[in-house]
This record gives sequence, structure tokens and C-alpha cells, in this order.
Amino acid sequence: MTMYISVTFKELTRKRVFLVTLILTLFFLVLFAFGVRELAHTVEQNQTSPAGALLNKMVFMVLGLFFAQFLTAFFVLFSSMGIITGERENGLLLAVAARPLSRWKLYLAKWLGHAVWITVYSTCLFVAVVWTIHSFAGLPLFAGDLLRGYGLFIWMPLLLLSLTMLGSVYLPMLGTGILAALLYGFSLFSGLVGGITTYGGSPPALDKALLLIGLILPTDSVYRRGLYELLGGSDWAGLALSDMGPFSVGSVPSNSFLLYTAGYAIVLLLLGCRAFSRKDL
Amino acid sequence: MMIIETDRLTKSYNGRGGCRGITLQVPEGCIFGLLGPNGAGKSTFVKMLAGLHRPDSGRASVLGLPLGRPEARRQLGYLPELFRFQDWLTPEEVLRFHGQLGGLRPQETHSQDFRLRIRDSLELVGLSDAAERRVGGFSKGMQQRLGLAAALLLDPKLVILDEPASALDPIGRYEIRSLLKRLQGRGVTVFLNTHLLEDVEELCDEAAFLYEGELLASGPLRELLSGTGDNWRFRVGGWLPETLSELNDSSGNALLRLIDSDESGNAHLSARVTDREQAGYLCSLFIRSGLTLYESGPEPNNLEAWFLQMVKSRQGGIPQ
Repeated sequence: MTMYISVTFKELTRKRVFLVTLILTLFFLVLFAFGVRELAHTVEQNQTSPAGALLNKMVFMVLGLFFAQFLTAFFVLFSSMGIITGERENGLLLAVAARPLSRWKLYLAKWLGHAVWITVYSTCLFVAVVWTIHSFAGLPLFAGDLLRGYGLFIWMPLLLLSLTMLGSVYLPMLGTGILAALLYGFSLFSGLVGGITTYGGSPPALDKALLLIGLILPTDSVYRRGLYELLGGSDWAGLALSDMGPFSVGSVPSNSFLLYTAGYAIVLLLLGCRAFSRKDL
Repeated sequence: MMIIETDRLTKSYNGRGGCRGITLQVPEGCIFGLLGPNGAGKSTFVKMLAGLHRPDSGRASVLGLPLGRPEARRQLGYLPELFRFQDWLTPEEVLRFHGQLGGLRPQETHSQDFRLRIRDSLELVGLSDAAERRVGGFSKGMQQRLGLAAALLLDPKLVILDEPASALDPIGRYEIRSLLKRLQGRGVTVFLNTHLLEDVEELCDEAAFLYEGELLASGPLRELLSGTGDNWRFRVGGWLPETLSELNDSSGNALLRLIDSDESGNAHLSARVTDREQAGYLCSLFIRSGLTLYESGPEPNNLEAWFLQMVKSRQGGIPQ
């Protein structure tokens, strides 16, 4: 099951996917660190109240992680959208699938091979963003909050990976990329709309539509719950995250919803294993 | 013992193409050739044997186990037709990866023994000098050689090769033929799907012929070809359009066919004869009929004649 970890790493490094991603990520992080330092300096000079200063630091965190989740999502989409159909079309799967390995194991091995490196990249990004805010803006962070926030931050791209892989069993590479990117975009958009509705309430029909999108692809809900946990949960985040415009967390996804996302990922993987096992290569 | 047995194996794609009701036996230790024109369903059949396609109906066993079982695939080496290996890996890394896919643990594939096995496999297919290069820079022929090395890596009992020499030059093809003979000498059964009739003629003990998804013939190659008799060709002068029917009236059961003729009276003829004496009789018949006999002799490639005869008989035409 672990044979794809090394092969995927070699693919990402030798095809320079990692190199390009790391260079651009580093560029983002440098710009981000510069921006945070300057803004934190300005906030300090303006002698804002302690509560106001804390809120500003939280805004930095929200913006930093919002962009970071974009990067991880793109990394997932571009590295995995041809994972099944693309390899079938170019003949890579033929020699592999004839080996004495059940198709479902092969499917999970490929998932694991990508999941490991997506987790590594997401971890680096998360640590870099959080460390930047903590160091330059002085936002206080606690180990428990950090761990919960980190866990949910890396869970989001793994959900997206599971969906992209399932799409890749049925659709050509481009179709899979478009499907996954659009669903991710819908999920993100529904989260932004949900943030706006915290100010003036929302009609029940809109609530239902947002819930439905969240159920179809729960990446944004997971991201928002992760943000909530990282920023102190009910202690602080409840106050701060309801006053950030479209980035506000109107309603915090519940623990039951997180359980739903676990079931969601398991069902996607099972469906993928089943479909791949029945697919003619 | 039969190493491959299929019983009415059928696979179609939305009701079209594929193959229908293939019942076939491949004895252990032989080199078996699968023949047929393009679109005959050969690759579909081979992919079902390799577990890449699921049959619609029928049954099959490979190495005594039902189709697609991992236990059977453990002893099976497969070289696909249109395949690629990971561009970003070296041949050594490809073979190590295939070792792991074949059930070896990662530490086993890094052992000294396995390194030696990789080195031997690459040497066997003539890729020793390219062991450190990335596969992305390989020619088609080199990829095919590497595919063969991967298929043979784990000492399979059965090797299924789908067009193994299609991208190779004459030297490469000769080397592969020698290699397949050596494999047979070691008791390995080789199932060969190829368009190269000379490979089948030189290597195969048994063969099968597929046409438009149906199995038209199968069995020992010698028996299949014996049904065709010997094809002989003749070049004569003094040819007139009405001469053919006059000759066929006296040629007995050796039906003469006109291949081509020109205005100056030269003609090429062909006939299937039961033995050399009958060919000699035809030569005397030409002379008695006032024709000048310039050349006569058996056609060099019986398998090609058989192949064409099989195809044309299904198309309703007359084999030349």
C-alpha cells in the first residue's frame, strides 16, 4: 500500500511540481510576512484598544489561511486530476493493474501516495502562516487550538483529493479538473455568502441551499470550523469571527457535521474502489 | 496441463467490437500465437486474460485459477501493447516499483539480491547501459525492452506479450525471439499476440486465429498449416485470356488462379497442391498447352497464405 508514496514523491519532485509550488508559496509567504509586519506596526502606532488589536490580528490569520487553503486546493487539483483516467489514457495503468494487487488496494495506494505529500505541503503552509502571524503580529496561540485547527486544515484537502479521485475514475482528466474546481468554488462561494448573511439574517431557502452545497462538498465548512478552533473556539473566535464580512463564520459547523465529513470521505473512497475495480483499462 | 482455458469468453463494448464466445486451451510450456487482422478482438481477449477487462459472459482460468485472481497474476508476466512507464523514473526504479507491486516489501526490493535481479533483467533485454537514465528519454523500442524486463522480473510461469516486437528493429526482434526460445526452454509458457507472422512461424507451437471477434481456428501450428497444402507459383509466357479455364479443366483438384497477366502474354499463376508431384504435373500441363514455363516454385510463407486464406474466406473473396 505504501509503494506509491515514494513514486509520487519522485513524480512531484522530478516533474518540478514541488519546486514550482514551493517557489510560488515562498513568494506568497514572504509577501504575506511583509504585509503582516507592516500592518501590525501600523496597528500598534494607532494605539487601538486591546480588543481591537486582537481582532486585527485575527483578521490577518483569517486572510492568511484563506489564501493558504486556496493554494492547497490548487495543489490537490493539479496533482491529482489525472490520477486514474489520465494514467489510463497514457497507458501507465496497464502494466501496473496487471500486477497481483487488488484494484481497491491499488486505488487506496494511489490515494495514500498523494495524501502523504498533500499533508506535508499543507503542514508546511499552515505552520508558515501561523508562525508568521504569531511572530510578527503577536497573536497568542494555544497548543490545543493549534492542533485542532491544524487537523481540520489538512482534512480539507484530503476531502478534495477523495472527490477528485472519484471523479477521475469516470471522467477524463480535464473534466475531472473542471468538476472538482467548480465544486470547490461553489463550496467556497457558499461560505462567503454564509458570512455575509450573519449581519442581517438569511431567508430559509438560502440557508437550505447553503446547507446542500456544504453537504455536496464540505471543504469550506471544514475550513471554517478549523478557523474557529484555531482562534480559540467559543472563547474568542465567536466574537471575532462574526464581524469579518464575507469571512465571518455565521454558524460554526457542528461535531456531527465533522463526523459527516468523515463518513463522506469513507463513502467517496469506497465508491472509488468499487468503480475502479469494475473499470476496463 | 492447460495453463489458460477459456470457455465461451465474451466481451463487447456497448454491443460492438470485442470478442464473442472464445473457447481456447493453451498447454503449459508452449509458445502460443494469437493471430488475426486489426480489430479482430485480440487485444480485448489478452486484456481479459491479464485481468484488465471484465468479461461480459463465459468463464476462464489462468494458471488453474479463475480470471483476475491476484494469486494467478503473481505468476503472470504481462507486456501491454500501448503502454508507458513513469517518465520520471529510471529503469531500476521502475523495476523496483514493479517488484513492490508484485508483492515484495520495500526493503526486499532494496536488497542486494534484488539489485542483482534488476541488473540481470536489464542485461537480458539489452538495457544495462541505460540503467541510470530516465525512462522519459527512451525510444519506443527501449520502452518495449523495459516492459519485457518488467514482465519477466518476478520469474513468471506464464508470460503474455501483446505485440512485443512492434517497435523493435530487426536486431531487436531477433534478440526477443531468442529470448522467448530461452524462456520456453526454462518451462515458461509464452502467449504471444502479434502481427508478425514470421515470429509466429518461427516460434509458436500452437496458434489461434481470431476474426471479427470470433475464433476461426486454433491448434498446433503444423496441423493448421497442413490443411492449406502447399502453395506454388508459376510464371508462364504465351498466355491468352481463355487459357485459365482450359488449364483448370485438366488440372484435377489443383485449382489454378491467375494473379496477373500482361498484353505480351506473360502471366503469374498460383495453385494449392497436395504434394510436389502435383506441382510437377501442372508444369507438364503448361508445356503441353503450348505455354512457356519460365519459373515455378513453392511460396515461401505458408503462414501468410493461411492467414490470407482465413481472412478472404470470411470476406467471401477468393484467396490468391
